Amino acid sequence: MATGTNTHHQDSNPNTPAAAAAPPKQAVPTAKTVDTQSVLKRLQSELMALMMGGDSGISAFPEEDNIFCWKGTISGSKDTVFEGTDYKLSLSFPSEYPFKAPKVKFETSCFHPNVDIYGNICLDILQDKWSSAYDVRTILLSIQSLLGEPNISSPLNTQAAALWSNQEEYRKMVEKLYKPVA
Amino acid sequence: MSETKGKIVQRRVFMYHIFSSFAAHAYLFEEWKRKKRKGWSEAEQLPLSTFSLYIYHFLSLSVSPVNQLRVFHILQRADAAMVSDSIPNASIASSNLRDFAKKKRANRSAKLKQCKLDARREQWLSHVKNKGDYKGEANGGVIASIGASVHLENRTRQPIGELEIKTRSEEGIFGDGSSLHHYSDSDSVQSNSPTSLTSSVLGSNDSGANFTGSSSSRSSSSANGSCSGNMSEEDEGDAGGDDCLDDWEAVADALAATDDKQKDSPSSENHEHSTESGSQVDASDQMISEINIPRIHTASANSESGRTDNRRALINCCAWRPDDAFRPQTLPNLAKQYSFPLKSERHLDGGSVWVCKSVAMIPKACPICFEDLDYTDSSFCPCACGFRLCLFCHKRILEEDARCPGCRKKYEVEPIDGEATLDGGSITYRLARSCSMVARS
Repeated sequence: MATGTNTHHQDSNPNTPAAAAAPPKQAVPTAKTVDTQSVLKRLQSELMALMMGGDSGISAFPEEDNIFCWKGTISGSKDTVFEGTDYKLSLSFPSEYPFKAPKVKFETSCFHPNVDIYGNICLDILQDKWSSAYDVRTILLSIQSLLGEPNISSPLNTQAAALWSNQEEYRKMVEKLYKPVA
Repeated sequence: MSETKGKIVQRRVFMYHIFSSFAAHAYLFEEWKRKKRKGWSEAEQLPLSTFSLYIYHFLSLSVSPVNQLRVFHILQRADAAMVSDSIPNASIASSNLRDFAKKKRANRSAKLKQCKLDARREQWLSHVKNKGDYKGEANGGVIASIGASVHLENRTRQPIGELEIKTRSEEGIFGDGSSLHHYSDSDSVQSNSPTSLTSSVLGSNDSGANFTGSSSSRSSSSANGSCSGNMSEEDEGDAGGDDCLDDWEAVADALAATDDKQKDSPSSENHEHSTESGSQVDASDQMISEINIPRIHTASANSESGRTDNRRALINCCAWRPDDAFRPQTLPNLAKQYSFPLKSERHLDGGSVWVCKSVAMIPKACPICFEDLDYTDSSFCPCACGFRLCLFCHKRILEEDARCPGCRKKYEVEPIDGEATLDGGSITYRLARSCSMVARS
């Protein structure tokens, strides 16, 4: 009995200091790295989902060495004035990404009531209606649907907003101003 | 340890359903060999009885399939009892265990031990007795009941000539198996080895000398003496193990529910035989009689119990309790069936299609940070819209705008508050299980 308990103590004693020493080591570096780590993981997962998802008309991929900057493309939906056109966008993700909306801009000039000449987009989900549950895919899909259904009441491009009622003229303008993606 | 046990249980269920009982037994045998090779501390105790049972049943394979099934159920139970018994043992260092056994042997007088043994046996039997009439047959101790039931089946179903040969060979080998078992744990209570020795001798003597049905019943029940003594010995200091036993018995009962009618009459028959043999053995050997007597008492007490049927029916309807840790996770969950409609409704309320999708293939990972949801996370449902996320992300969101990512509503400070959220809470629980099912499939 005595030998049994002794070996037990010997077994357990060396373990306790090691176990006690381990947590502080881990705790030190976590504070800052966890954030970017989780953003990285989230973006990688999104990229994976996007590539596996096979949504037609949208695509996105990170720029060469920076996963916080992506390039995306959107094709104009069928039966809209933007049919047959492709638009290039840039997405830049803040370090608080899922909790803060990414900045999305058109790289290709787009004649649209809610897109200004610099490519800035006026879309609620990219501003106050942002939710951390949105991701690149939903953003691109939203923008794609925004092309066909602009919000005329708060236009960035007043000329486009005015012209929207005349779809034939609008289509001509789109074709005239469209510069294909390089 | 519980994980290992869960695996074993799971595997056995799997084996049982997929393969024939023969294959299952071959598997049990292989498992025993593997454990022995690994040198598990409990391997000494568990497999030898399994082994003896294995051999025993192997010989009875020529019996009709229905009887095989019965025998197999009993074997499963015995095995489960062993496994459950070995769990607490494993937590103690093996050296301690041995010391404990030695000390036990040194300190106790034989009489005191006998009293304790009897008391414990009474307890155990009364516990098992409540499980129903199918187990009522097995009351003499799980292993012992195999002897009895197989014997009865032989008697009722087989020509007499075949029976004689069979019972003789079975008894011989079974006796060997049990005595081998007792010698191997020489550290365990001393009363076991003499008992088993005499019983094996007795068993072979009886079956050798007489060629009638009643004689074989004697031999089987004399074997009962040693085995049931052994069972009660294993039962000591182990209250938690009973749960496992319950589960297995419930499963066996559910599977053998159709056999119950056939069982009822033989079980009463069995009691008579055991009583008879008990007195007979009493004359020849004191030790065995002391062990047998309490068993006979409970057996007679058992035959009067009609109320057990209720209890059994209750157990039959749930082989595993929903909160049972040892419930194989691969088993389908009934809650799943009605949790899903509820869910999709909630999501249509939420109004956004993509949310619906992300929850339909329910969060194996947090939709915000893509980290895997642990159990706490997956049973955490902070918003009535059903949008789930991990606790870290939830905390982060609470620090900022405190709106649910799924529906943009403000999170309530106390998620489980009103009746709506209470309702949500119960749904949450069900979903947590169905989620894991979905993720797995």
